[in-house]
Amino acid sequence: MAPPAPKYPADAIAPALRENAHAVLRAYDKTVVVKSASQLVETVHRVVTVLDEAGSDDYGQLMVDYSSLRHLNYMRGAVYDAQGQLLHQLRPAEIHDQGLGDAGGSFMLDLRMRYADLRQPTTPYTVEFDYEIVSENTLFYPDWQPQAAENLAIEGATLQVTTPTALPLRFEEQHLPAGAASAPVATTTQTTYRWQLPAAPAVEEEPLAPSLTEQQPAVHLAPATFVVQGHAGSLASWQSLGQWVYQLGQGRDALPPALTARMAQLLTTTPDPRERARKVYEFLQGSTRYVSVQLGLGGWQTAPATSVATGGYGDCKALSNYTCALLKAAGLPAYVALVGAGEDHPDVRANFPSSQFNHAILCLPLAAHGTVAADTVWLECTSQTEAFGYMGSFTGNRHALLLTSEGGRLVATPRYGAQANNQLRRTDLWLDASGGAKATVRTRRLGLAQDRYAQLLQEADPVAQKKYVANRLRLSQFTITSLRLAAAPTKTLPGVVETMGLELGSVGTVAGRRLLLTPNLLGRLGTLPAQVGPRQTPLALPTPGLYQDTVRLHVPTGFRVENLPPPTHLTTAYGVYSSACTTLPDGTLQYVRQLETRRPSGGAPLPAARYPEYQEFRRKVSQADNAQVVLVKTDA
Amino acid sequence: MVWTYKRLAWLAGSWLCLGLGLGPLTAGAQTAAPKQAPPLPLRFGQPDPADLEAQGFAADSGAVAVVLYDVGQSRFASVAGHMAIITERTTRIKILKKAGYAYATVEVPLYHQGESSEKLSNLRGFTYVRGDDGQVTKTKLDASGVFEEKRTDKLQVQKFTLPNVQEGAVIEYAYTVTSTFFSNFQSWTFQAEIPVRWSEYRTSIPQVYHYKALYQGYLPFAVNEMGVGSVSMILENKAGTGLAATSQSQSLSMSTEQHRWVIRNAPAFREEPYLTTAADYLARLTFELAGVQMPNEQYRDLTDSWTKKNKALLDDEWFGQALEHADFLAAAVRPLVAQYPEPAARAAAVRALVLSSVKYDGTNRYHATGPLKKAYELHRGTSADVNLLLIAALRQAELPAQPVILSTRAHGRVSQEYPLLEQFNYVVALLETPGQPDLLLDATEPLLPAGELPRRCLSRIGHTVVTKGEGRWVSLTPSRRYTHMQNIKLTLHAPGDLTGEVQEEYGGYAALEAREQVQQLGEKKYVAQLPAARAGWEVPAYSFSKLATVDQPLGLRYELHQAAAGSPQELYLKLLEPFGERRNPFRYAQRRYPVDIGLAQQEIIMLTLTLPPGYVADLPKSANLLLPEQGGRYLYQASAPAPNTVQLISRLTLDKAVYSPDEYQALRELYRQLLAKQAEALVVRKAQ
Repeated sequence: MAPPAPKYPADAIAPALRENAHAVLRAYDKTVVVKSASQLVETVHRVVTVLDEAGSDDYGQLMVDYSSLRHLNYMRGAVYDAQGQLLHQLRPAEIHDQGLGDAGGSFMLDLRMRYADLRQPTTPYTVEFDYEIVSENTLFYPDWQPQAAENLAIEGATLQVTTPTALPLRFEEQHLPAGAASAPVATTTQTTYRWQLPAAPAVEEEPLAPSLTEQQPAVHLAPATFVVQGHAGSLASWQSLGQWVYQLGQGRDALPPALTARMAQLLTTTPDPRERARKVYEFLQGSTRYVSVQLGLGGWQTAPATSVATGGYGDCKALSNYTCALLKAAGLPAYVALVGAGEDHPDVRANFPSSQFNHAILCLPLAAHGTVAADTVWLECTSQTEAFGYMGSFTGNRHALLLTSEGGRLVATPRYGAQANNQLRRTDLWLDASGGAKATVRTRRLGLAQDRYAQLLQEADPVAQKKYVANRLRLSQFTITSLRLAAAPTKTLPGVVETMGLELGSVGTVAGRRLLLTPNLLGRLGTLPAQVGPRQTPLALPTPGLYQDTVRLHVPTGFRVENLPPPTHLTTAYGVYSSACTTLPDGTLQYVRQLETRRPSGGAPLPAARYPEYQEFRRKVSQADNAQVVLVKTDA
Repeated sequence: MVWTYKRLAWLAGSWLCLGLGLGPLTAGAQTAAPKQAPPLPLRFGQPDPADLEAQGFAADSGAVAVVLYDVGQSRFASVAGHMAIITERTTRIKILKKAGYAYATVEVPLYHQGESSEKLSNLRGFTYVRGDDGQVTKTKLDASGVFEEKRTDKLQVQKFTLPNVQEGAVIEYAYTVTSTFFSNFQSWTFQAEIPVRWSEYRTSIPQVYHYKALYQGYLPFAVNEMGVGSVSMILENKAGTGLAATSQSQSLSMSTEQHRWVIRNAPAFREEPYLTTAADYLARLTFELAGVQMPNEQYRDLTDSWTKKNKALLDDEWFGQALEHADFLAAAVRPLVAQYPEPAARAAAVRALVLSSVKYDGTNRYHATGPLKKAYELHRGTSADVNLLLIAALRQAELPAQPVILSTRAHGRVSQEYPLLEQFNYVVALLETPGQPDLLLDATEPLLPAGELPRRCLSRIGHTVVTKGEGRWVSLTPSRRYTHMQNIKLTLHAPGDLTGEVQEEYGGYAALEAREQVQQLGEKKYVAQLPAARAGWEVPAYSFSKLATVDQPLGLRYELHQAAAGSPQELYLKLLEPFGERRNPFRYAQRRYPVDIGLAQQEIIMLTLTLPPGYVADLPKSANLLLPEQGGRYLYQASAPAPNTVQLISRLTLDKAVYSPDEYQALRELYRQLLAKQAEALVVRKAQ
């Protein structure tokens, strides 16, 4: 019998696709068949040639998650050698099944996964996987982004969606090349949509770039109407999505009468609405904690407020719903809002209403009264320590979906600019003749700059705090002799003050009779990674911030200043920088440095062509930051 | 999709996972137990009122929670006519801070395998909170807070979370685990990530079972007692089969051995850098079944010598017996015998064959998961599948390879005192040649040459499994060091520009580390993250050598350029800094546990600087520092071998794989001085 025809031989891959690639996607065909408003079937055929060992772990294995609303019908696999001859066909017994435990801090989920391992001892080899999912969670339609990782080339990929004509498909195309979409084909009952991507070489991630998921071609899908566990909804607009989630939670805000009474009492004891809301929030933080239980529809529907009242715990939806009920009882109507939380979570794609959220928060509008202007207070209900009304880098600077009785409304969460991302530091440095030093450092961080430190203050013990700070000090060697963190809020922003004593082994450099020292001890801006070849990807700059350093350098006896670094002033679209070192009347040196980083285009990425200009800015800052003071021994 | 909450990943708290190992402290003297066993130190449901107060819980004032009591009792009993080990555990925890709320959520892993299983029953819990009015509210753990999760085929996880948890609350839970795993009796860990005020373990074992108890840790026992007691059991005896089967109950009364161990005021365990695994340092008791003495039967000795352990392993279907069924390898292996007459070369060739045939899947075992032929056909397997195949293949190639079992660094240290197989989780091959050092072979890491073990295996000692006799302990500490050498040639040009080239050589485990990084990052990104490139030097060209030849040192040559930065009249050049250590690896002032690096190291920088004509340099002072007890040294030399030429040599040698806590300060100081010398500036100026 003749051997079977080879499948996907590795030498058929075009040389251009091997460039910078650990693996090549030979085929990625996704078929979505919408059966009804409450069910869809997703079938995936994925073939990857692993070119080298670095691609093995990512592409030689497959993991598919499933849950009570998402059934995995089958999972098949085969692996071929470099010539395309079958090496092994995956057997059902080789597919592992595993619960996902406390994934992401959750206590109980019904999320599980199956995985298969077809990694081979020698590369190249090719794996072929097929799987089918039946989803009853039609609020979500699958996404299609074949090339979402670096060092992966693609030979081609297709997406086909078939839907009953009565259930029109909604889709959003992202960075698709011309000709990727075909005209939909409609029969009397069904409409079929098709997309395909041509071959594309591997991409590499660059520093300060938008994530690949934002840069690479994709098609986002969503239903127009859906039914989850008998609950029908529409994604025609943010209004209708909000309506659906709002209705799921309706009637779940009843509180035990004693608690209602306790909250109502605040109306008389604390007439100022803002202060009253603060009291309610303090009560919440003192008596509840985050524990997530999400099973089936519980992924969407809040647990009743009574369960939080008795158990003292809940997930983000349950705690927000509970707080909303508490506020209502205290005469403060508020709204639960859905948000995509996380420092790096992209903002909502506003013109494509669909479920893009992973967290719930609370929005409390306060009407103007007396001389006080109207205001909006946002509350994070899953933290026992977060400052009242503060969103920070977790949920600030983005959009959230308010859930109201009239449906959903997309609104902006609080914005935090450079002034709300502020670090102010004062260092006193006593240098000795051999280059060692003692230092005291007082750093006040406000707003976004304090987010991690607030958490450090609240959640870590002193030993862990010291370790965290020690691991982040960019000094070659030191001993922290004392460390204290304390809350130091301003009227509008949370703040943390860090007071630290340091012993520095060799901060100054001895050079014959001279002693050299970089006065910018702790505030140096890091250098950019070396750029190899021209910049390919857009430039995404970090959130603007304001960083101020003052260093008092106490010169050791027997030394005088020989040379001070020249003052530097830079004003660019990327930031404003100044540094200067002067001798004070008492002989100490004072170094003052200030950097305000800016984003010329707001949050939007800048074209790659702007990168050299930005590099130049960083190079100049770095040069000024590293400037040295030269002290010399007096002859006396 | 998974919902999120306000908490950053780096602070996630969890209970420590458990392993095995032996610490430096032995169990100490045992005392005779009093006639009447003392009552348990706590009664469930009745917290001590003092513990509901706000103050004075731990010497460690920063603790987020304190375990007030953790009390376990394990005993043998009959359950429905069958013997079982019953463990009752009661834990009471004081929550001091919000960051301690995580301790109110508990996971109990329950294993089952074949006939043996663990089952949890009688779970109950309370939260006690003292209000401002002094009244104590008591909230019961109810069913809505209890969940079961089937994590894998062999692991069921019982989870529960206590209600109404607040700062100052005392939580308490108790449960019973019924186990039929007789070979390893329930272990007990006395320490946690939070302080433990009172941890007590009691065992009651009928004298038919003989267990060896092994204590490890750095804490002394407050109580260590042994006495005798008795237990009555009703066991079912089955006789005959099929329809003729009869079953009768038999009541047995047996004398028992009773133990009681208490550790008080255990401090919180904290991770430090250069530890093998937390389990090596935690105060902990483990047990292994040593023998069985059934009434009217001969004593069955199950552990007592390596001779017996070796026999058991060699008779094991998935160890020794698996090695016997390896004829399928003959066709591939036999040709190597003639091709490589020299044993070491042949061994390397056999290893290369196994490496290219079977991929290590990342799981560490010493038992094969199935017949070796299966792993060979699947092209993939655990460390045991891969290395037992290697041993079988070496034997097919007429090389008398022996298995050596060991415990990986993450699995924990092994005790040389008792032959406990539970301590091991890995197997490698040993080739002995008279008059030659041991040749240890492993086929899981393609980036290492034959004869070098992966870093996970550098855990000091392993033991041979031989057909005759006890076998012996084998040192796993590699003879080759981690060596990194940089030969830097720089030229200073009159305007202050520096150009030059660097020749790097990575040897031993440094080569492995560099090859792994090049594999993951690619050559270009690897070069871009070199310290000099990060310090702002331009790297116009580079080339690697011997990247794929893993039995030779890896070479990297690159060119460097740095534009003028200072005034040409007088320059302060910190030349070694961008090539040297960036930070002192010993950041913390104190050290409680040994520094386990795993292998000896050497870092050499040789820098030659050519000055422009008419310039001179002031040479820095040389230095020569020694660590106590031949632990290592640091040498720094500055010289002018020719006019207009300066040579700087920096050489760090660390000769030990493990340094004791007493040596920590010397080690830290050595690095302090090394960093100071590397940061020193060379003053270059125009000759007068």
